[in-house]
Amino acid sequence: MVEIEIDEDACVGCGSCVDDCPNDVYQMNEEKWKTEVVKVEDCMACLSCHEICPAQAMEHRDIHVAKRLYIDRKVNDVLDKII
Amino acid sequence: MDMEIEEIRGTFRPELIPKETGGDIEDYEEALHVLMKFVGSMSSALEQVSGRGANAIVYQAGKRMGHDAAKMMEKTDNLEQAMKEMGEVLGVEFYFEMWKPSDQEGYTIEKGNETVVKLLFMDCVVRQTLRRTGLPQKGPLCYLLYGYMVGAVEEVMSIKGKLDIDHVGPNACLKTLTIKWGGK
Repeated sequence: MVEIEIDEDACVGCGSCVDDCPNDVYQMNEEKWKTEVVKVEDCMACLSCHEICPAQAMEHRDIHVAKRLYIDRKVNDVLDKII
Repeated sequence: MDMEIEEIRGTFRPELIPKETGGDIEDYEEALHVLMKFVGSMSSALEQVSGRGANAIVYQAGKRMGHDAAKMMEKTDNLEQAMKEMGEVLGVEFYFEMWKPSDQEGYTIEKGNETVVKLLFMDCVVRQTLRRTGLPQKGPLCYLLYGYMVGAVEEVMSIKGKLDIDHVGPNACLKTLTIKWGGK
């Protein structure tokens, strides 16, 4: 079962995830003006919300993480040395 | 950056083919990345030259792959069974599962002479290629999967199908497969 955690301190309340999610997993909490998870059972872990969130305020747990063979390990090695 | 290329010298004996591939995992990785870049630039060039015709070309290529991949599969007229079999065949490169919203009872929906099922593609070589080359999703290369599924469905169920893209994401894409019964 997917678990989604929203970091309320990080969430800027832009509502991008609410608009982007095709399954209405999120809605805006109008009192706090932050995103909240309302239908986690419909989350298909496409992670569009991660891509669109400007604050990187969410974390998905217990999902199938797709292979990312496109990542160049040599570039990663160089980045590791710089960062 | 200086790059040292190590030349491999040795004896070539036909009986060693294909056991000796002449490379290690890093060579495979490099080859994969070159291929991804090549396919990505070919896709954008196709789109530039042929416009929307690019979709049809890639669709046709996918359809052939689908037909070939599904040739060995057992024929069935049960859509859910066909999806399970296709999942096993297409498994590694295009790992998908049937998906339904929580308030829907079964995976399939009957609409007149059509049956509809939603498919969630999790691992996808096409998506990885697009991300490697910085191309947007839903472009011509995504039609490869459209053709692939249609070709495989045609092969297994001997009927016509179509695949629509509902939503694309960096980790999974949701598509709707529609089967038209009696639509040979």
